Amino acid sequence: MSGTTAPPAPDSIQTSEEPEPSGFTVGPLLVVALSFVVSMVVGALLIAVTDRPTRKAAQHFFSAPGTMFSRAWHAVSRAYVALFQGAIVDPHTFGHGSVWRDFNPLSETLLNATPLILVGLSVGLAFRTGLFNIGGQGQIIMGAVLAGYVGFEWHLPPVLHVVVAVLAAVVGGAAWGGLAGWLKARTGAHEVISTIMLNYVAFNLLAYLLKTGVFHRKGSNQAISPIVHGTARLPHLFPAPLRLQFGFVIALVAAAAMTWLLNRSKTGFSLRAVGASPNAARTAGMGVGRAYIVAMVIAGALAGLAGASQILGTSFALTTSIDANFGFDGITVALLGRAKPWPTVAAGVLFGALRAGSVTMQTRTGTSIDLVTVLQSLVVLFVAAPMFVRHVFRLRAAGDAGSQQLAKGWNG
Amino acid sequence: MNRTVKVIAATGTVALALAACSSKSKTPSSSSASSTPPAATSASASSAAASSSSAAPSSAPVSSSAPAGGGATNVCMVLDTGGVDDRSFNQSSWQGLQDANKANPKITISYVGSNTGNDYTPNLNAEVTKGCSTIIAVGGLMGDNVKTAAAANPKQQFAEIDYPSTGPNVYGIQFNTAQGGFLGGYLAASYSKSGVVATFGGLNIPPVTIYMDGFVAGVRYYDKLNHATVKVLGYTPPKVCTLTNCAGKGTFVGNFTDQTAGKSDTTTFFSEGADIVFPVAGSVGLGSVAAAKLAGAGHSIMWVDSNGCVSDAADCKYFIGTVAKGVEPSVEAAVLSAAQGTFKAGTYIGTLANNGTAVEYGGIKVSAKLKSEIAKAKAGIIAGTISVNPNSYPAVK
Repeated sequence: MSGTTAPPAPDSIQTSEEPEPSGFTVGPLLVVALSFVVSMVVGALLIAVTDRPTRKAAQHFFSAPGTMFSRAWHAVSRAYVALFQGAIVDPHTFGHGSVWRDFNPLSETLLNATPLILVGLSVGLAFRTGLFNIGGQGQIIMGAVLAGYVGFEWHLPPVLHVVVAVLAAVVGGAAWGGLAGWLKARTGAHEVISTIMLNYVAFNLLAYLLKTGVFHRKGSNQAISPIVHGTARLPHLFPAPLRLQFGFVIALVAAAAMTWLLNRSKTGFSLRAVGASPNAARTAGMGVGRAYIVAMVIAGALAGLAGASQILGTSFALTTSIDANFGFDGITVALLGRAKPWPTVAAGVLFGALRAGSVTMQTRTGTSIDLVTVLQSLVVLFVAAPMFVRHVFRLRAAGDAGSQQLAKGWNG
Repeated sequence: MNRTVKVIAATGTVALALAACSSKSKTPSSSSASSTPPAATSASASSAAASSSSAAPSSAPVSSSAPAGGGATNVCMVLDTGGVDDRSFNQSSWQGLQDANKANPKITISYVGSNTGNDYTPNLNAEVTKGCSTIIAVGGLMGDNVKTAAAANPKQQFAEIDYPSTGPNVYGIQFNTAQGGFLGGYLAASYSKSGVVATFGGLNIPPVTIYMDGFVAGVRYYDKLNHATVKVLGYTPPKVCTLTNCAGKGTFVGNFTDQTAGKSDTTTFFSEGADIVFPVAGSVGLGSVAAAKLAGAGHSIMWVDSNGCVSDAADCKYFIGTVAKGVEPSVEAAVLSAAQGTFKAGTYIGTLANNGTAVEYGGIKVSAKLKSEIAKAKAGIIAGTISVNPNSYPAVK
């Protein structure tokens, strides 16, 4: 704060050269946890500022400062308590209906986490290959379109139907992702541009399809498709009213598969090699173009699975908002998960909890659902800027190349 | 730098501690913050009766709390993705609920927004859990979700706007806005100096296209009546147009939020000679207003859904009028009758006759003669002597 021209203050010299007694080296996990804490504090300020009783009390700040703080504390604590209740456990529902209902918050958390994890893995795998997959939205849409078509137009026996529908989603997403990978490999078209453009293509294709014969629900006054048949729906994992479905299992299997792919397989090794240095990989005789295509096909397939979870497990009918913004939220999940499979799962569950909790928070306290978007963005911002968090909490840096990479970006 | 951080941290700690102490002493009330006696807050921590302030359910900031009493009802609204301040459909639905609260203060009201379609079902379920007596779903895209929630909670009252009833406990509210659009078309055609008017939509769905269909019919009726040749850009009516099936061809933005697209489409219409544009696309229309400002004098906008001179008062001078959807009165009427114990079932259709749709004049002066012509056309539509089907009239080449 003393300005750049002023000589360094004694205490700043002290911290830069002499370790603080409380300073200790930290792993990335602590930085993530502390980033979350800082984000919650900033979120609390936002809640307080937007809370009407607090603002009213602030007009009399100098005569009664305590009133303002108490109102602010009341608003913030109620909002965060409701956020927790909507995401983990809610005493309000105890004793009403079946015991299963007590698990509804957790079920909603994992239901929201499912597409987040799948898109997070998709973006993460592309990251590891040195690609920035912003095409999650388009890949979800294409996966959902094909899965939806199979789901409401075809008639197949129970188990076969859902399997075919999920495979259709994989094909749709893989084709859309692979297209961007192929363009990158063959023409050098930057995947950031091509995936964003393919998002628009997929979105407008969907909007067009919803008006045409097969995809438009007869007799409906909305741009909505027919409902997928019961045989094509992903089975629920628990009895009603819990909505958690088999897609979550698929997401966990996908994370395990990606772990194996990256750490144990030859393909995964070449993907990581290309991600680390395309030139070195090329010198070592690896097909860089092939790696780009393979990575984007797999990434697209993972995002397509998120589309399957949406259409076969949550929404059951195509609308223009079938992607539910998971394509972009998945990017933040991958950033938070540092493009590693199991941390991505954890990040997906965390953001899933925020999404699930936001509904209850909004219903009970009127706090805008948008607050959760702010929280998510702040967490990622602080994780990408670990120096800030370290500075606030007086932590010493550990050898943490991952976050440096996060801050710089992948494709530079 | 470090000293600053320390100071900030210390201040924050003190603030939190103060807040924690004082929160026990007073039960917060949203009503009378101005009458709080000064410096009386943080003193008596233990004396006040309120023990668990965080668990005490008080009303949300967006809700207007009512004094608890006999016949008090709790009406909750689930909004679509446009948001409560879309100066259009969601906003007028919430306004209708606020009007009901004003008319009968015993009705407690609140709303929740949806960020994506994934929020519909959790929002509806959360409102059921919250204990709302009536839940109003805004927007037909929630149709499936409302149907499922209504079937799972047969004793819960639902109302849904822009969608027919889907169960004995669901009150469908729909609007035949082709009638209002007709009057808007007549007004635009008679006011246009260039002889070209235009319209575009958000999505090609009947709740949007019936406005445009009626608008085209109104222009063609004007042409026939006055031997004029005003033409409409942006929409070609289909052979059949009903509340559930009206797939005309024309210009559609693809959503109800992209104001940039609304601005560029409107600018294109202006450059093609139109001087009045009728956007049927929620907040996209704000882009049309921006385009009209840019184009200068002689270019104006026909607003949609809720009176533009109220919802967007700053831009009133650009509005020739509004083709209004009577969301406010119909929501208010449904809520008030539900509060009196008579929840309606079936489907309500808003028309010119029951003020479910209307044309309202804007900031641009309209002659008394034209107003009387429009009043005459309105009476004709109500009486059934004037058709709002554009195919009843010859089209201008």
